[in-house]
Amino acid sequence: MAYRFRTGGADLPSRLTRVAQLLGRLPGVGEKTAMRFALFLATVDESTARDMGAEVGALRDYVRPCHLCGNIAESEAPGEPAMCTVCSDTRRDSSLLCVVARVQDLLAIERSGAMRGRYFVLGKLLSPLEGISADDLPLGQLRAKIRDPEAPVKEILVATPPSVDGEATALLLARELTPLGVRVTRIASGIPHGGDLEYADQVTLGRAIEGRKNL
Amino acid sequence: MPGRECFETVASSPDHASERDPERNIRGAFEHGKRSEDMSAGRAAGLETLPSRPPKLVITSLTVRDFRNLAKVEIVFSPRFNVISGQNGQGKTSLLEAIYFVATSKSFRTHRSAELVRHGQEAASVRAEFIEDPQDQGLAPLVREQHAAVAGARVVVKIDGARPSTLASFATRSPVITFHPDEMALSTGPAGLRRTLLDRLSLFMTPESADHRSRYDRAVKARQELLRRGSESESEIEAFEHLAAVHGSALTRIRAQATSALLPELALAFGRIAAPDLALVAEYAPGGTTDESEASAALRSSRRRDAGRPSPSFGPHRDDLVLSLDGRRARIVASQGQHRAITLALKAAEVSVIGHARGISPILLLDDVSSELDAERTDALFSYLASQQGQIFVTTTRRALISLPEGLASHERHFPVSGGQIPPTSE
Repeated sequence: MAYRFRTGGADLPSRLTRVAQLLGRLPGVGEKTAMRFALFLATVDESTARDMGAEVGALRDYVRPCHLCGNIAESEAPGEPAMCTVCSDTRRDSSLLCVVARVQDLLAIERSGAMRGRYFVLGKLLSPLEGISADDLPLGQLRAKIRDPEAPVKEILVATPPSVDGEATALLLARELTPLGVRVTRIASGIPHGGDLEYADQVTLGRAIEGRKNL
Repeated sequence: MPGRECFETVASSPDHASERDPERNIRGAFEHGKRSEDMSAGRAAGLETLPSRPPKLVITSLTVRDFRNLAKVEIVFSPRFNVISGQNGQGKTSLLEAIYFVATSKSFRTHRSAELVRHGQEAASVRAEFIEDPQDQGLAPLVREQHAAVAGARVVVKIDGARPSTLASFATRSPVITFHPDEMALSTGPAGLRRTLLDRLSLFMTPESADHRSRYDRAVKARQELLRRGSESESEIEAFEHLAAVHGSALTRIRAQATSALLPELALAFGRIAAPDLALVAEYAPGGTTDESEASAALRSSRRRDAGRPSPSFGPHRDDLVLSLDGRRARIVASQGQHRAITLALKAAEVSVIGHARGISPILLLDDVSSELDAERTDALFSYLASQQGQIFVTTTRRALISLPEGLASHERHFPVSGGQIPPTSE
C-alpha cells in the first residue's frame, strides 16, 4: 500500500514516512492518524519512541502462540516454545477441553471465569466458499491432545460462533471426535444476562426457547 | 397540515368509533359485504381475528433530497388516494421508490444503494411522517418520523431520531406493498417470482424466515463447492448438508404456512376480480420437505448427480406455487386476460395476508400498472382498490387514463411530475 502525504510541496524525511506507512498497516489506523503517531514519536517524546522500538522488536522473539493450545503466550528465551498461563496452571481440569475459533474468543471465555478446563484454538473455521476445508483445520493436533496418555480429555466443549461456518465446524468436530470416545458438547445460545426479553431479537429468543432446560 | 385533517377529525369526534357515524359507514359500505368472510378466512389461516375496520398506515408528508432525479421535493399526501402523473423519465417511479425506501430501507428497482444518489451528489435522503390510524378502535393515532439516507454505499435509517435494532425490524415496521409491471409475469413467469411472493408474506408472518433463508443459501453453496472440488471428507460435506436440511426444512414449513394463509384470500380476491364462477386454487409445490432427516437423506443420496450442477436437485430453492383454474394448470389453460386477473388476485391476497399478519392495512404503491391491463381489468383493479382501507399511490403517464370509482375520486390528490420537480401541494 503506498501512501502519498499532501505536504504542499515540502518533502518529509523518508524515515518519518516509512514509520507512518508501517503504523498505517495497524488495524483501525488511517493515513492521517498514522502520520500523527509518527510525528509524535519523532518530535515530542524521545523515550516513548526508543522504548517502543525495543519492545516491538522483542515482541516477536518472546510472545508467540502456546505450543499446546494456540493461546497467546510468552517464552523463556528467543525461539523457544511458549506455554500459556492456562496450560501451565496445574489446577486446571485437563479432562475438559474448550475449542474456540480465535484467541479473542478464548480471552472472552476466560473473562467469564466459568471455564475450569483448558483450551484449543483452531485459528480458522470451516468455510469452503473461502477455500478453507477440513484439511486446513489442525484436527491431527487436536486428536493427539485428546489421546494424550498423561492427561486424557473426556469432554470437548465446542465454542465456535453461531454462524453457518461456526455451526458446520462444530458438526464436523462432533463427527470426527465422538469416535475417539470423548463427549462433545456445544455452548448454548440465547438471551444475554441482564437483557430484557422484550428487547431480544426474534431469532435469539427462538433459539433460547429451543434450547430450554429442565428446572 | 392538510394531510392530517382526517385524523384530527377522528381524534376530536367523541363517537368516532361508533357504527352510527354516517361518513364512516358510507366509506365502509363496500367492505361490509365481505367482512364476515374475511374474518373467517383469517381464522382459517390461523391468524388473529381483526376488528371490523383494521388500523391503517398512512404516510402524511415526504421530504426528498437528491434521490435519483429528485433534487428537492416536499409534499403532503392524501391519506387515501394519490395519483402521480408525468411523461416517462420525469421521476414518477423515483417518487414511489423514495416512499418504499423510507418505509423499508430498500429499493424495489436495485440492490445497489449507490444508484439511489442523484448524479454528482454525495448523499440522498428521504424523510417521512407516518401515522398508524387505529380507525374503529377508539385509540389515539400513533405518529412517527422515519428517515432513510444513502451516503456512498451505506444506508442509515432512523425512527424518531433513533437507530432501530436491526434493518429487518425497520423493514417490517411500516408495511408497504408495491405492484410494478415486472410482476405481470407472476402467473406465467418463472417460479422465482412466486417464491419471492411467499417470502414477502413469511417476513411478516414468521420474522426468523429471513435468517433461515440466508443460512440455507450459504450452507447449500458451501456443499456445492465441496462437491465441485471432489472433497474427500465425508464429515465435512455432512456438516453442511445437515445445516442445509435444518434451515431448508424450516423454510419449507414457513412457506407452507404462508401458502395456507394466502389460499382463502386468493380465492376471495379472484372471485371479485375475474368471473365468480371460476375457482382459482394455489398449491404449494415444495422442492424439499418439512422433515429434517428426510432432507438430509435426500441430499446425501443425490451427491453424485448434484456434483456437476450449480445447485442441488432437492430443496426449497426449487419450490413453486402451482396455480390452477377449476382444477387445471393455469399455466396451460389460462388466457392472457385470465393470467392478468390471477396476477391481480395474487397481489390483492398479498395485501390481505400482510395486513392480517401485521395487524395494519399496508400502503399500496402501483407503478404504471394500468398500462399493462385492458379496460376491463383496470376497472376491476380500481374497484378492488376502492374496497381497500389502505393509502394508495398510483403512477400514470396520463391522468385521464384513470377513471376512478366513487369511493376514490372524492379523496384523490394529484401530483404532476416534470423533470424531477413536483409543484407545491395546493388544495
